[in-house]
Amino acid sequence: MPHRLGPMQTLPSPMRRFAENETVDYCIVGVGSAGGVLVQRLARAGFRVVALEAGPFWDTEKDWVSDEKGSHELYWNDLRITGGTHPLALGSNNSGKGVGGGSVHWAAFAPRFHPSDFRVYTEDGVGADWPISYWDLKPYYELLEREIPIAGPAWFPWGDPHGHPYGPHPLGGVGDVLVRGCTKLGIRSVAGGPVAILSASHGDRPHCIYRGFCLQGCKVGAKASTLITHVPDAITHGAEIRAHSMASRISLRDDGRVDGVVYIDRDGAERFQISRAVIVAGYAIETPRLLLNSACPGHRHGMANSSGTVGKYLMAQAGNVVAGRFEELIRLYKAPPAHALSEEFYETDKRRDFARGFAVQTVGPLPVAFAKQMIAAMGAWGWGLRSVMMDYNHWATIGVLGEILPWEDNRVELAEEKDQFGLRVARVTFNLHDNDKKLIEFGKKRVTEIMWAAGAQQVVQESRFAHLVGAARMGADPATSVVDKFGRTHDIPNLFICDDSILPTQGSANPGLTIQALAARTADYLIRQGDAIFFSNYRDLAEPGIRYDLSPPYTRFKGIPRIA
Amino acid sequence: MSRKSFPFRSTGGDLRDLDHPGYYAGLSTLAQKRSWDEATRRAVTERVEKTPPIRFFSEPEAALLDAVIDRLLPQDDRSEARTIPILPVIDERLFKNALNGFRYENMPPDQEAYRLGIKAIDEMARSRFKQHFVELTVHRQELILKSLHDGQPDPEHAVWRRIPVHRFWALLMEDCVTAYYAHPWAWDEIGFGGPAYPRGYMRLENGLPEPWEKHEQRYDWNAPADSLSVLDEQGAPPEHGSLHGHGGSH
Ligand SMILES: Cc1cc2nc3c(=O)[nH]c(=O)nc-3n(C[C@H](O)[C@H](O)[C@H](O)COP(=O)(O)OP(=O)(O)OC[C@H]3O[C@@H](n4cnc5c(N)ncnc54)[C@H](O)[C@@H]3O)c2cc1C
Ligand code: SF4
Repeated sequence: MPHRLGPMQTLPSPMRRFAENETVDYCIVGVGSAGGVLVQRLARAGFRVVALEAGPFWDTEKDWVSDEKGSHELYWNDLRITGGTHPLALGSNNSGKGVGGGSVHWAAFAPRFHPSDFRVYTEDGVGADWPISYWDLKPYYELLEREIPIAGPAWFPWGDPHGHPYGPHPLGGVGDVLVRGCTKLGIRSVAGGPVAILSASHGDRPHCIYRGFCLQGCKVGAKASTLITHVPDAITHGAEIRAHSMASRISLRDDGRVDGVVYIDRDGAERFQISRAVIVAGYAIETPRLLLNSACPGHRHGMANSSGTVGKYLMAQAGNVVAGRFEELIRLYKAPPAHALSEEFYETDKRRDFARGFAVQTVGPLPVAFAKQMIAAMGAWGWGLRSVMMDYNHWATIGVLGEILPWEDNRVELAEEKDQFGLRVARVTFNLHDNDKKLIEFGKKRVTEIMWAAGAQQVVQESRFAHLVGAARMGADPATSVVDKFGRTHDIPNLFICDDSILPTQGSANPGLTIQALAARTADYLIRQGDAIFFSNYRDLAEPGIRYDLSPPYTRFKGIPRIA
Repeated sequence: MSRKSFPFRSTGGDLRDLDHPGYYAGLSTLAQKRSWDEATRRAVTERVEKTPPIRFFSEPEAALLDAVIDRLLPQDDRSEARTIPILPVIDERLFKNALNGFRYENMPPDQEAYRLGIKAIDEMARSRFKQHFVELTVHRQELILKSLHDGQPDPEHAVWRRIPVHRFWALLMEDCVTAYYAHPWAWDEIGFGGPAYPRGYMRLENGLPEPWEKHEQRYDWNAPADSLSVLDEQGAPPEHGSLHGHGGSH
């Protein structure tokens, strides 16, 4: 049986296998949103690449189901400790494990960041500035929007206004509520995207069938994950993806350069992949964990941590869910959970008493998730829970997606406890600060108003958080950041980080598209530098220039709906 | 002791032995399984046909937790044959020590939290009513559990100084709903269409049912009149500082 990646797509075979002691150019840790794009680009450019992935290499037909409970294995379920004043729920709320990483179970909202996100400190005196501007990233947004590709409205009015290569999706019941409520209050909204979900077939991927199981992994292949968008092309071009391989330590040479990654294979045996450079792409928790677990002489407090900022400035977004009960039926389980939004409150508004803002987005919890929401939002239990659940089809749910600023005390450290491999697990500490609390209160109130305006008869809300980023941030100053603007660690010239942990701030946009755009840009940089990465300590900070010839198939000839 | 707690004077309700509670008479998601993909069909069918054996809890512990679950997610209105197994699902998770990816810094590991928590519940029953929890009337059982729900254990118990009571409550409730609402009989109860690959959904707006789904037929629904677990409209839960949802949504 071929390895299936959807009803029409199969994994290219055979995959190249590097021999045990063969030196490769790049060893990448983690094949998620960022890692998938990176490995594809580097392979296409002719580098010898091995990507280690802790989880399985999914066969979507065999391994995935149209079922909430049965999808438990998509998440990073290994132990992590969580604390602080507002401890983050991890597991299914945050990160994936297996080829595709978090892009397997994301809701696939794919908005861009706004130009202001890159200059938060300059504009508002809080948070941090990015070492790059929106305009540096814009060509990569446009390119990834075609590679993935993104479906959405022809006119997206916020930030840098733009359109989308694929047309918008039809509205489901929840989107209808969002659009109705917003319109009543004079708030602009868009429907049908932007989402990384096909509204028409694309190569060997069919369009969406509106089954609503996006967070359970899209068996249809309509929702993009790097497993189906970039990894197949990487394999075609000679990359090796080594699944069930958990990186435990990055290895440092006497001359201060790294020379490979120690990992634990499927059978629990320790192995070493020797490589000329290493890129860590393990997500905002596992990336700092790996760096901290790689402490060694010369790097006592964790690898590449001379600034002491590895693990710090971790961010989540406020993800409060406001649920409204309607007289009429909604049936919120149909259509992708992600399909309508408003970014009307995204930017700082001087009339409010806090900096930055939030987005308003549809969510579509399936029964188990919805029951959990009712436990948290209404204190439901016993007969009360049974009865509110019998009204499942009368409820609509809209999410706040609010910007939380980077604070030094929000961080990833190592706990004393160890995991099944004997590696110290991550301890995540999360505290809300004054600006965050005000922003959340305001966001909750506005979304509640939208729900009432749409005609709800009862409105409740649940507090939660989404989208961890940061904890190994990029910056121009080596004293306050871990990597430079291309993801190269300030301390070690051939060690890179490329995933959501390098984000200095995260706006109120879901981070996935930005992560992939950054990965493509880092890849262009590495390709442009060529072999110099492998022996030179010279740090070239010139923009590499975008490469349009390294995209996966079916990218060309799609429009870039640029709005002048 | 049998799962059935009625007819019981203190609950008063007239709960019928239903094969299919809820407002969607005639809806059977399982009857649609020909339209599901193979892997999903296998996973869901197995859930219905195979109940895992009790391996983690001892017999008395299992009886105790079962009685607790009967109040947290009562099924007295369901016929015996259509009762959805919850305890065996929780037991299996703990037996395999299958984690959900994190633990609060002030919580013991799940296995330990369960053992300590249910033991405390029984000791609370004994100290307040001089009876084991399983022997209490439904009303008294609810009194004990409601005090945990409210975050104010009555009577107090040393365990709740070690385990934050609202976290234990959330753990228990979430495990219960994960078992119950993952079952196709519960989908039929709430009108959820169930798995939908490769067929998909066609009627997205206005709450319209697919051809194989059912229209809602509401009727007055009879939770026991004096149950303490009915929804309290004013009773949004106390902000426990950080009690929040654990499911991913966006
Ligand atoms: C329920 C949910 C909904 C979401 N919805 C959206 C959305 O609508 N839009 C959006 O933009 N974002 C969304 N996200 C967030 C998005 O999924 C993540 O931001 C994104 O995937 C992060 O990308 P990454 O490359 O940094 O990490 P990941 O995609 O998490 O990839 C990291 C990979 O590295 C592997 N790994 C980690 N450590 C090691 C190690 N030591 N050795 C080997 N491998 C390792 C992991 O197994 C994983 O596969 C959602 C997330 C969740 C949980
Ligand atoms: S709703 Fe569409 S994108 Fe989401 S899982 Fe179903 S087919 Fe895939």
